[in-house]
Amino acid sequence: MLSERLTTILPDLTFNEALEITKIHSIAGELDNNTGLITTRPFRRPHHTSSPVSIIGGGRIPKPGEISLAHFGVLFLDEIPEFKKSTLEVLRGPLEDRQVTISRVTSTLTYPSNFVLIASMNPCPCGYYGTDDNKCNCSEQAIAKYMGQISGPLLDRIDLHIEVKPVEYRKISSDEKTETSEEIKQRVNNARNIQLERYKGLNIYSNSELTPALTNKFCKLDSNSKELLKKAFERLGLSGRAYGRILKVARTIADLDNSENIQQVHIAEAIQYRSLDRKYWKH
Amino acid sequence: MLSKVKTMSLEGLNGYLVEIQSDVTGGLPSFDIVGLPDMRVKEAKERVRAAIKNCGVEFPSRKILVNLAPADKKKEGTFFDLPIAVGILYAIEEIKDAENFENTCFLGELSLDGTINKINGVLPMCIEAVNLGIKRVIIPKANCKEAEIIHGLEIIPVEDLDEVIEYLRGDYEIQTIIGNNKFVLNNNGSNNLNFSEVKGQETAKRALEIAASGSHNCLLIRKPRFWKDYAF
Repeated sequence: MLSERLTTILPDLTFNEALEITKIHSIAGELDNNTGLITTRPFRRPHHTSSPVSIIGGGRIPKPGEISLAHFGVLFLDEIPEFKKSTLEVLRGPLEDRQVTISRVTSTLTYPSNFVLIASMNPCPCGYYGTDDNKCNCSEQAIAKYMGQISGPLLDRIDLHIEVKPVEYRKISSDEKTETSEEIKQRVNNARNIQLERYKGLNIYSNSELTPALTNKFCKLDSNSKELLKKAFERLGLSGRAYGRILKVARTIADLDNSENIQQVHIAEAIQYRSLDRKYWKH
Repeated sequence: MLSKVKTMSLEGLNGYLVEIQSDVTGGLPSFDIVGLPDMRVKEAKERVRAAIKNCGVEFPSRKILVNLAPADKKKEGTFFDLPIAVGILYAIEEIKDAENFENTCFLGELSLDGTINKINGVLPMCIEAVNLGIKRVIIPKANCKEAEIIHGLEIIPVEDLDEVIEYLRGDYEIQTIIGNNKFVLNNNGSNNLNFSEVKGQETAKRALEIAASGSHNCLLIRKPRFWKDYAF
């Protein structure tokens, strides 16, 4: 419901991004005869029975995989714990490096894979864990196995963790006007333009691509924010990788807010998106 | 006689120049392709033979050797069919003195009846061709749209081998398409979905807005109805 609509608010492409997407789709043979340049960001939704090779690419006749076809777009993994563990773990490298290198006997190929990973899941196999009336009939082991499909390192690479609660009846039935995709997209485009302007000449397009050195340069914190982050770091037991990712998310929130510096509220919101893994995963 | 035809190949996301050298000499009739061809390139032999025959040209009953230079790189794909066919036709002098031949790059897969089929990877290969100063490409008509993105590229879209032969002989005119890079890059997903249809869910919407703005990864955990927050 939500994820499918994400395509309607993704920021506009730059020409270089569009060219690179079209190149990959050209090699994979996914262009139809009437399309020249691809002008919309790709949204890939592989089924959970997909094999590791179909996800990262390669094969006897090498072809870009789903992660490269989702370059500069979205890779949506619905029901992520249903994927094979081996399929999920291959995502670790590309999520960090934003490219994938496939080595074969005769040649080594590198395909870019700078995608946004959107994943969705239930809290247990039957989907009722934690309800009042104990409707859940999963065993402890089944739940542990289900949640264990998503390893710590993979979880660490996901910046935003959120719970989606069922909508209350009052809201479904209300005629209250909700925001349209166009309005949201306007804000997204503004935030993205701020980033494009700031990273001009650095060959990066968005906050998530910042290297550690660039993070230090562009995500400066005031003393209050530093204190807050320190506390969260200790209480939530965050990893070094999570620290960098919180800073980048805070940078994006500040950009959405049109604020030049990252403020305490931005850091606080970014931290809030990282607190769920401690609740659902007992690492 | 020896002929040389320019074509491109792919390595990852980038194209590189391949020169197809065809030598047709006397001797026992044979047809060999060397220069690390994979199965698909080797099979080109049969397609090229049938396509040339079905275009009304007698396939030479002589010793034919085709080399794909640089010979130390593995060649994959079916797009060598057209340049191999053109190379052989040039070597047996069915085509002579074609205008601007050295500055033309050929790409295309042949059917047995001579029709030229759509191929993969035209865009990266044409980009590299332009980088190397090759201004004119002869490619399948079905791939024309993607090549049009490249500014200043002269594209000759072709549908069958007959057309290519006539064109190179100068007996037939094909409208050249010049590429240009003027595009409207607005990304309005063509589907009819809209966030206005989603009632409530403000937190999730906000998170997706952040994800879209800064390309951040996002995990959505669906909570069932009547969730006890103290369950953990």
